[in-house]
Amino acid sequence: MSPNDLLKLSGIAIVLVGLAFRLRPTLVVVTAALVTGIASGMPLFSETGKTGIVEMLGKGFADNRLMTLFILTLPAIGLAEQYGLQQQSAVWIRRIRAATAGRLSALYQLFRVIVGALGLRLGGHASFVRPLILPMAIGASETGGKTSEQSIEKIKAATAASENYGNFYGQNLAPVQAGILLVYGVMKGLGYTVSLWDLVKYTVPIVALSLILGFIQFALLDRGIRRSAKGTQ
Amino acid sequence: MIGAIFSLETIYVLTGMVLVVFAFLTLRDRTNPHRHTSALFWLILGCIFGLGGVLPNWLTGVLVLALVALDGVGRVSRGHLQTDNASQERRAHRLRNRIFAPVLTVPLVTFAFAIGYRTLGLDASRGALLGLGFGGVIAMIVAMKVTQGTARELMHAGNQLNETMGTVNILPQLLAALGVIFTAAGVGDVIAGLIQQILPDNNLFLLILANCLGMTLFTIVMGNSFAAFPVIASGVLVPLIIRPFGVNPAMAAIITLTAGSSGTLMTPMAANFNIVPAALLDLRDKYGVIKFQLPFALAIWSFHVVLLWLLAK
Repeated sequence: MSPNDLLKLSGIAIVLVGLAFRLRPTLVVVTAALVTGIASGMPLFSETGKTGIVEMLGKGFADNRLMTLFILTLPAIGLAEQYGLQQQSAVWIRRIRAATAGRLSALYQLFRVIVGALGLRLGGHASFVRPLILPMAIGASETGGKTSEQSIEKIKAATAASENYGNFYGQNLAPVQAGILLVYGVMKGLGYTVSLWDLVKYTVPIVALSLILGFIQFALLDRGIRRSAKGTQ
Repeated sequence: MIGAIFSLETIYVLTGMVLVVFAFLTLRDRTNPHRHTSALFWLILGCIFGLGGVLPNWLTGVLVLALVALDGVGRVSRGHLQTDNASQERRAHRLRNRIFAPVLTVPLVTFAFAIGYRTLGLDASRGALLGLGFGGVIAMIVAMKVTQGTARELMHAGNQLNETMGTVNILPQLLAALGVIFTAAGVGDVIAGLIQQILPDNNLFLLILANCLGMTLFTIVMGNSFAAFPVIASGVLVPLIIRPFGVNPAMAAIITLTAGSSGTLMTPMAANFNIVPAALLDLRDKYGVIKFQLPFALAIWSFHVVLLWLLAK
């Protein structure tokens, strides 16, 4: 490996260190792009026979505008929010009838997957888990008596996790979500035009397993809560 | 003519126009501490969207540098959020489930376009993207009809949402541009060479293991699987797995991306998902969410390796 080659990796080092130290992500990424280009001997602006870094940056950014198309949906979503979208969603969430904290977490994970598959951005720890899911889960666990402090901590972690499980995997079921579009754009840049629908298709087994694993983990949570309740009696 | 209307460029121009309106609203917002520079940011982004197809690449590049400079010096901010929970509650009560009509319009139109394009024998991916764009526009009309709100209210609400999300909105696009430069510089080949020195015998299973491990480790350090993907895709996935073994690129790419999600579940660097919620829910252990997610993340990660290997063989 030549020193020249190692120099080319400086951009990756910048991204790793910059994001790990929580510097501004936009600045980190563009700095990495400039440094990588310079390290591999590209000119800033095009010269005869050599494409410049700034040109490539501009072309790469413009070619991938599709990743930011969702801005066009913001006015409608924003207006719906002003007129009570979250509140009406909460009405639906409150209708979930679950006997235990674990089952509620599992149902919420499923709800997040469905929301993701529709390409919507409804959910979140602040808007749904804290005000709705957590109190409902604790309420469900207390039907048989007081729940131990330790179990409550577990329930808190479980409801937070169910939001993440449903959100991370479910969103790839919609062909126009950011993750799918990023993969589409990056693969195109590498010379492979893939179909958005194929990307969605191969997400299905992953989502199915995420639901199964979530359900198992939440069932184990319920068992733990029951045991600790018996232990204190 | 019809071809010109139903092109991605039309959607980009519409997006550019919405961004210019956002910029104007931001400029007039006196509660925003940096309203001039913030408005400039959204105006420049709007210009790139609307004119990106005709601007010379060097000019677009300079505009991108300007965007990043404005954000880099911390001059892009948002105005004071005006949310009136009581009135939202009241309005929710009045509109009931009709409030879902505008947000459901977007996926409905997206699917309708995709199916229509497929039926006509055209590219269904393109159909979905056009559907997203036109769906957004139709949803605006539906939203105004349902809520009886004005166009001004509509754009104001959109601007508020856009400002809340902020400058990270452009991050996927920047990462894709970074990927383009990595490719041109041959960064992927260097990484591929390094891995081949460690794993010399071209064993598909070990390469898949290295691919998924690399994706997850990068995500753990950066807290962001989107940032890890261009690096792993150009350095491992394409040169060492897809190209030499003729593996289905769509399958391998999306499974690699979600292998990164295991990393997101395990890292405190993804603070929004793991640390902030722990505080929000008053967990005594601030790593409580991560500890709960750890067995899930390891199990689903192993499944990614096995699935990718089985589908690649």
